Amino acid sequence: MSVFLSSLGFGLITAAVLAIATVGFTLQFAVTNVLNLAYGSVMINSAFVTYYLNIHAHLNAWVALIGGVVTGAIVSYLINRFIFTPFQRRQLPPITIVIVALGVDLCGTFGLQAIVGGSYFSYKQSFGREWHFLGMYLSTLQLTIIAIAVVVLGLIHWLLKYTKLGKAMRATSANMNLARNSGVRTQWVISTTWIISGGLCGLAGTVFAMDTGVFVATSAQLYIVLLLAAMFLGGPGEPYGAMLGALTIGVATEVSAAFINPEYKEVIAFLVLLGMLTFRPYGIFGKEKTL
Amino acid sequence: MAFYIATIIVYGAVDSMACLALNAEFGFAGLSNFGFIIFQAVGAYVAAILSMGGWKTSNAGFQQYVLGWHLPFPLPWIGAALAGGLLALPFVFLVGKRLRGDFAAVGLLVSAVLLNQLVTNFVPLFNGAAGISLVPAPFQGFFNPQGLQYQFAYGGVAVVLCVLVYFLLRRMTESPYGRSLRAMRDNDIVADALGKNLRVQRTSMMVLGGMIAGLSGAVLVGFINLWSPGAWGYAETIVLFAAVIVGGAGNHKGAVLGAILVPLGFEEITRFLPPLSNPALVPALEWVAIGLLIILFLWFRPNGILPERRRILSGVIGVIEPVPTGDDSDALINLGKIDQMDFRSLLNLETASTSHDVILLSENLTRAFNGVTVVADVSIEIQRGRLTGIIGPNGAGKSTTLAMLAGTLAPTSGRIMYEGRDITSMPSHERARAGIIRTFQLASEFKRLTVLENLVSAIPRQQGDTFWGAARGRRFWGQEDKVNIERAQEMLEGFGLSQYADSYAGGLSGGQRRLVEIMRALLAEPKVLLLDEPMAGVHPSLAHKIGDQLTRLVDSGMTIAMVEHELAIMDAFCDPVIVLAEGRVLAQGTMAELRANEEVVEAYLVG
Repeated sequence: MSVFLSSLGFGLITAAVLAIATVGFTLQFAVTNVLNLAYGSVMINSAFVTYYLNIHAHLNAWVALIGGVVTGAIVSYLINRFIFTPFQRRQLPPITIVIVALGVDLCGTFGLQAIVGGSYFSYKQSFGREWHFLGMYLSTLQLTIIAIAVVVLGLIHWLLKYTKLGKAMRATSANMNLARNSGVRTQWVISTTWIISGGLCGLAGTVFAMDTGVFVATSAQLYIVLLLAAMFLGGPGEPYGAMLGALTIGVATEVSAAFINPEYKEVIAFLVLLGMLTFRPYGIFGKEKTL
Repeated sequence: MAFYIATIIVYGAVDSMACLALNAEFGFAGLSNFGFIIFQAVGAYVAAILSMGGWKTSNAGFQQYVLGWHLPFPLPWIGAALAGGLLALPFVFLVGKRLRGDFAAVGLLVSAVLLNQLVTNFVPLFNGAAGISLVPAPFQGFFNPQGLQYQFAYGGVAVVLCVLVYFLLRRMTESPYGRSLRAMRDNDIVADALGKNLRVQRTSMMVLGGMIAGLSGAVLVGFINLWSPGAWGYAETIVLFAAVIVGGAGNHKGAVLGAILVPLGFEEITRFLPPLSNPALVPALEWVAIGLLIILFLWFRPNGILPERRRILSGVIGVIEPVPTGDDSDALINLGKIDQMDFRSLLNLETASTSHDVILLSENLTRAFNGVTVVADVSIEIQRGRLTGIIGPNGAGKSTTLAMLAGTLAPTSGRIMYEGRDITSMPSHERARAGIIRTFQLASEFKRLTVLENLVSAIPRQQGDTFWGAARGRRFWGQEDKVNIERAQEMLEGFGLSQYADSYAGGLSGGQRRLVEIMRALLAEPKVLLLDEPMAGVHPSLAHKIGDQLTRLVDSGMTIAMVEHELAIMDAFCDPVIVLAEGRVLAQGTMAELRANEEVVEAYLVG
């Protein structure tokens, strides 16, 4: 039981980071129909901007985090505006865009590695004291990350549900042509979505790096496996599904790591992903597109 | 230096084999196998462990692995090819059904990542992260593997295998089966509706590609004598994709050129760079360059250095490219010779029956999307030898009903009967082979097939249109294919589009593409032809010419059901007419009867 509860604690923190990341990832898919496989490289690049602000500009890590968020937003916007959008205008099949995204991912990840080298990095930041409750052990840092995730996801909920922009985003996601014909400025909505989701990407990258403690240029390279599993579990393009998917995958990987073998912890995410792709490619609650 | 050249020859042959296989999957069958490298990897491992002795007795047991049968050459290589083919089978479920291409691709990518992690961490299988070393070179008891002669001989064997692979793949792709593969690549749903079994076609290419990849792994491991998870990271697949894209997807020579330029070229160029202070810099920049190469090529030269070559079937030299013009050009399409066309002999039609019995019917057909019912309790009958019209306002469920009749869409409930058989759960390609052929509302031509290829690809029961038929070569199917091409040309002449026989179908005008689609559907030899708004966006004068031909077809014994918006078309050609509104059957009868029906008039005025 105690193993279960302490691994549940790890699961919650993994899920918090994953939820931020997956919501951004799925929003990008929702409005542009692109599986942005370059997402992990933007995450880690943002984490490194935070690192430079933290170490070289001597900013507090939590302040430097803002730099990471801004970087994620700007870089994501630029990638969509100057790479994905021009390719999509040519009416290419989605797979071509995915191959392009893989190319961008290689440039992003290894471009970073070329600059920072292969060594290990960590933020100048205290983990704080360790809190022990309900059988879980969590540091102040980890609790802060969970709190950030809750606040940010609450804001996303408010954005989608109660703002004009959120409604426009949902309309664009459901049917771009219909939304455009109904007077939604779809191009503006898409750009704004990429800025917001890019901010989430930068935030996720930074808190991911804070949580792992030590990171390298290629740390987020395989994060895409968890992202895809969480997204497909909740249904591609469904922000609420992404939150739930992230919670499930985050907890499931950590709990299975405690009981089976930590080296195989991603296996469960992998099995979930393949199972979803095979049986319910539009998610557990996902929507099937009409003809 | 001589040793270096021998090494280059082996690497070049291995990379070429891998790229040829990937190109057959990606460039011809449209399968984005993002996990391709695992097929090469399994071949290398299997060849290694089959040729080595048991792990406890060999090499003092310092490495652990399964099997260890110490088999003589060439059994390990054959085993490697079989393993590569077998490994494809678990992934058939990903590519077999109509899963979006990019979804299936990420499924394969993630599989590659995870398999690499599993092999890395699970030592008993293939010795974990350290990998397997001291793999014996083939024939090492008879020759000295370190000798120059041996190394060149090995290179020679590798090149011969590569050439054999090249000719085998060319035989497959330049056959009617290859045409079906490219049709599937260009538009899988349409290929399905014309009777192509997507699952079989994709599986066959995954298995064939997997076998070649496995063999390439065996050749490689027999030469370098070691193999570990570091050699087959998921990103190696991206390098091979870059190679195929740079060389030219859909062109075998392009795949070989890409293999020489990208994987081989990059490896070798970096050998000659001066040593840098940061040893990680060069590999990192190599990856950046691969990424840039993919993006830049897809933007500036998406078809690669050697683009897919056009297949000229008509035998006429010189291709007329259609000039893009306004919609008016449709009015000028000359169907002058069409009345002399004998549909009955050209399309193997049964003799027209005088009785108009029901050939196709639906009972309480219902379809819901996410809880919204689009079609509710639709029971309709299509009578043999008649041109039935299906009409209704936007969103009435006309196209959905047609899609369910053709099997493109599964009904939520209800039953479909065809010639007295229940076909509700019959997949769409089987319905097509049984004689139910549909067309699509949206453009559905196979863009990178010529007009003539579009037509020929639809002809059913072609000898060369199976994997094994294609493997038997042109001598087996060539004669029949010639006859089929002549039939398609005759059709093309009747519809006045002969001059565009060898043009790519993607370049035609809207009206011309409609005609290509109708001709293609006819050559599929339907008993029941389901047309989804065939006149949409077509010039009215051309629409009437098409309508006249549909009437002739019905008189020759074909059954046609047509979804249409235009009342004028219904008036002129269709009897009986079924009216759908809000997913239900509102009325049916002749147009005259319907015009007297107040409910129908209201639905149209209000809807």
